[in-house]
This record gives sequence, structure tokens and C-alpha cells, in this order.
Amino acid sequence: MAEPMPDLPETTLDAPLLPDGLARIATQGTPCPTPVFRQSHLHRLADRWTHLLFLACTLLVVLLIGGILYFLAARGAGAFFPLAGNTDKVVTFREVFLSTNWDPGDGHFGIVPFIAGTLAVTGLALLVAAPTGVLTGVFIAKVAPPWMRNVMRQVMDLLVGIPSVVYGIFGLTIILPMVGHAWLADAPAAGFAVSAAILAVMIVPTVVSLSTDAFESLPSSLDEGSQALGSTRWQAIWRVLIPAARPRLLTATVLGLGRAIGEAMAVQMVIGNNPQWMLLMRQATDQTPVLRFLFTPAATLTTELVQELPNTASGSTWNNVLFAMGLLLYLMTMLLILATRRLGRQEHA
Amino acid sequence: MTSRVPAFKVRATARVADRAMHLALWLIALTFVAVLIGFVGGILKEGWSELNLGFLTRMPEALDAGGGIKPELFNSLYLVALSLALAMPIGLGAGIYMAEYAGQGRALRFFRLCVETLAATPSIVLALFGMILLVQMLGWSFSIRSGAVTLALLNIPVITRVTEESLRGVPRELLEASYGLGATKLQTILKVALPYAATGILTGVVLTAGRAFGESAILVFTAGTNVSQHFPDFRLSVPGETLSVHLWYVTSDGTLPDATQIAAGTAAVMILVLLALNLLVRLLDRAIRRRTR
Repeated sequence: MAEPMPDLPETTLDAPLLPDGLARIATQGTPCPTPVFRQSHLHRLADRWTHLLFLACTLLVVLLIGGILYFLAARGAGAFFPLAGNTDKVVTFREVFLSTNWDPGDGHFGIVPFIAGTLAVTGLALLVAAPTGVLTGVFIAKVAPPWMRNVMRQVMDLLVGIPSVVYGIFGLTIILPMVGHAWLADAPAAGFAVSAAILAVMIVPTVVSLSTDAFESLPSSLDEGSQALGSTRWQAIWRVLIPAARPRLLTATVLGLGRAIGEAMAVQMVIGNNPQWMLLMRQATDQTPVLRFLFTPAATLTTELVQELPNTASGSTWNNVLFAMGLLLYLMTMLLILATRRLGRQEHA
Repeated sequence: MTSRVPAFKVRATARVADRAMHLALWLIALTFVAVLIGFVGGILKEGWSELNLGFLTRMPEALDAGGGIKPELFNSLYLVALSLALAMPIGLGAGIYMAEYAGQGRALRFFRLCVETLAATPSIVLALFGMILLVQMLGWSFSIRSGAVTLALLNIPVITRVTEESLRGVPRELLEASYGLGATKLQTILKVALPYAATGILTGVVLTAGRAFGESAILVFTAGTNVSQHFPDFRLSVPGETLSVHLWYVTSDGTLPDATQIAAGTAAVMILVLLALNLLVRLLDRAIRRRTR
């Protein structure tokens, strides 16, 4: 490689002939010392072949996607088909995907409670996070004064950086006792409500930052035109800006949903981990089913994996069904990513 | 003089709605500020009494009260460093390829889709993958190396994306000047584009380090929930429980009499580390802005 000679160009280069950017750098010194390039056979050889190295890195990422799919599918399929390394009995798709009875000790592997739990907790979280996230996005992009814009960005940066176990411990030691004392006469408050509230705070930064980008990338003529026609600020936002940004706002929401579906530890710490929650719901006879639903200890796909995977023997049906649940999670997030692609194409059409 | 009818009818109700929503937007935003303050304040308040030098420098206890977090703190930093060292070359390489070689066509779109998919893959799914491939098939068991490799999978897409974006932000005239001076493409990338993009990439790497530091789901299934009896233990084959895993494990396991206090103290330490990282990102960001102005 050529020796960089940082001090030389200032005196030897003919500044006026240089393109603007390099002249500025040459005269101001750093950011990058202007290199003097020496060409040799070796350089040309390196130039021709190193891009294969970079390509290999990229292909590794592609390979990883396939590899994850392959290994999870191989283990998950062991639950349904007598594959090599499978030491236990097989179950049918019906018994797994259509049954609400999860009792591995007794040979029942219905995972409907976990799918329903995942949908319920992410749905509730999205119900809070999507509207508030989009509105905060509008606020940052169009309404807030510059100092408040800065404050909000920093708040969102910090919220997204807090680890999920710290969210979990906050929920466990501060929110659960508080809610339990306030509304449930000291009953444990574990369940969908508190999990969803924590999840909402966890995914709001994703929704906010993407929807802020969406609003900022709209041409300002939309906003100005609308107000020139006599709309109020809010009318411009509600009837012009939000419809115009709709595909990207939906993308923001879908990516938030993806984060919520995959979150494991924070939810596991506050949801109560009860695989039989649907049975409990059915037996409950009190007058407030909604409240009962919100505060019944439950379980989701991710929490069940965290809870039970370490206790199961490799190769058993129980273990294989858990891997099938992991595969299901992976496929769900892949589907969501493809959905955002769809939305992106809609925007260009 | 005839004035044209405006497309929007501004009735009194519209004005009231405008005011009300303006207020509502401020309220929502301030709620998030309050949530953050309440959160960080709550964690620090719970853990403050635990924070002392003894807590940071004692070994953890298995059954008795009074354990510290010395090896966990070490493992956290060690694993973050290892996983970044593994992920950096791959992420940089892939980012360079996507920004400089992949063109604008179908190949680039496909690679981007893959990077996005890997970035969106739930960490528990990565954990399962690492558990099958490294812990069981390669026989690495619950160890630092299993954890570091799996954790690198979490870092790779983030570093790739930030590298690509930073390289695309390099001014065109700079690259053209470099070619004009007779540089090859590789020389231009390594000596002109990468140094210019370095601060941006570094910001991304620090953010990635923060994410890896807080990650727990992956490490529970690959690095395990035990620590080595020696300190400091740099061996790659020993189990390496990190701070975040410790925090989760003591609360869910429940054999320690002072689990609540230890969890609170650990959480406070993690929040402090992350606040420091955030400050570092902000300083880097300021450096970038000063240069581009």
C-alpha cells in the first residue's frame, strides 16, 4: 500500500484545479489526509479480487437467514415426523395447532394458548403504541419547537436503548405491586394489561422514529398548500399529511409489531407464565370478563420458550414442539418484513 | 371584491379542535418524557442503596445473601467486545459491498431484504439457532464462545446497515477527486470513503455495543446462567453469565434471599452504563455535525 503523505499535497497540489470538496479538505487538513496513490501490479490485483471478500460477507448474511430457517425447521419437523434423532412419539398438526390444551406431562401439545397470547399482548400494545407513536411523530416533525424536538429525540433514543430485562424488572418490582394494590385488592396483577403497557413503551421509539422520518420526507408544499387553502394546523395534519404518509406510517406500525412479537424477557417477567390461561378464562364466572382477561396470568410463544426450553430433553416431543414454536415466530417476522416491502411498493406506485 | 370560498371551512369547532389537538400532542409527548424520567428514576432509586464498591467487586453467592456482580460485569464487557470483534469485519464487508459494488438493481434489493430480515429476527429465534448449532451440534455447550458467536448475529445486520448508510453519505466530489488522482476503487474505498464515514460507523458500533450489552434472551440459551470460579477468566469454553442474564436469573430462580436487592442493584448498574454509552453517542454525533456544517 502507498504511504500516506498527509502534509505534502497542500504545497504540491494545484488547488484551483481540484474539485471543490477535495480543495477544501486539502487546505483545511483532516478529516482524511489526502492520499497519494501509487499503482503497482499488486494494487490492481487487490482491486480486482477484494470485492469477492466483501461479497462473501454479504452472502454470509444471506446464508444465515437460510441457515436459521433450516435448523429450526429440522428440529421443529421432528415433532410431526419420525426423523433421525427423534426419540419420542410424533404428534399431528391438528393436535398442535388447533388444540388449546397444553399439558406436556400428559402428552397434550396444543399451542393455541400461546399464539392467542402473543396476538393478544401485541395487539393491546399496538393499540396504545401505534396512535401515540404516530402522533408523537407528527409532533416532532411538524409541531414541536426545535428545543422540544431535540428533547423528544433524546427521550426516544434512551427508551430504545434500555434493555428488556430492565423493563422487566421495572414491571415486576414497581408496576405490578402498584397496580395490584390500586385496583385488584392486592391480587397479583400479572397478565396482559401490564405486559402490553411495558411492550408499548418498548416499541413506541420504533414507531416514533419511522413516522417522524415519514412526515419529514413529505414535500412542504403539501402542508403549505393546505394551510393556504384556509385549513387549520390540525386539519392539514389530519386530512392531508397523515393520508399522504399512510404507507410509511403503516410500515412503522408493522415494524413495531415485529419488535413486539419477538420480545421475550420483559414479557416473561410480568405476564405470569400460565399456559392454561384459556381454560382459566372459560371457568371464570365473574361479572367482568374484560377485567379478568386483562389480569389473568397468561403465556405467549416467546415466554413459553424462555420458561420451558431449558427443562426439556433434546429430542423429546416436548422439545421439538418448542422448536416448532420458534419456527412459527421466525416465519411471522419474515411475513411482516415482506409486508413492509409491499407497503413500500405501494408508496412508489 | 369577491373572495373565493376556501376549500377548508374553518368553523369555530375546527378552531377548537385545532387547539385541543395541539394540546393533546404536547400532552402525549410530555407523557413519554415523564415515562422515561419515572423509569430511570425508579430503577436508580431502587438500586441506589446497593451501589457500592463491594457489590461491584464481590463474587456472586449461590445460596446466601450478600453476593456481588464482579464476574458478571466482566463477562458482559468481554462478550460485547468478542461479539463486536466477530461482527465488525463481516458487517463492514457486507456494508461496503452493498454501498459500493452491488449497484442499484435487484441484487441490492435482495441483500437489503436479507439484512432487514436478520435485523428483525427475534433474539429468541437467534438464541434457538445458536443453541442447536453451537451448543449442541458443535458441542461447545453453554460457553463464552457460543454466546459471542450468537451475539454477533445480532450485531451484524446493524453494523451492515450503518456502514452502508454512512458510505452513501460520502460526498460524490470526494470520490471523484480520488479517482481523478488515479486511485483504484479499492484505494478510494479504504483511504477516502471509509475515513470519511468512520465517525458515522463508530456511532452505529457504539449503539450496537449498547444493544449487545443489554441482550439477555440470546445469552440465557448460549452462554448459560453460571460463572467461572476464577477471575478474570478469559477462557472461551467456560460459561459466561452476563449482567442482564444475572438480573433475569436471580429474579426468576428465587433461591437467593436477597434476589430483589441484587436485581435492583444490577439494573441500576446497567442503566448507568447505558447512560454513559448514550453520552458517548451524543458526543460522536456532535463531532459529525461540526464537520459537515
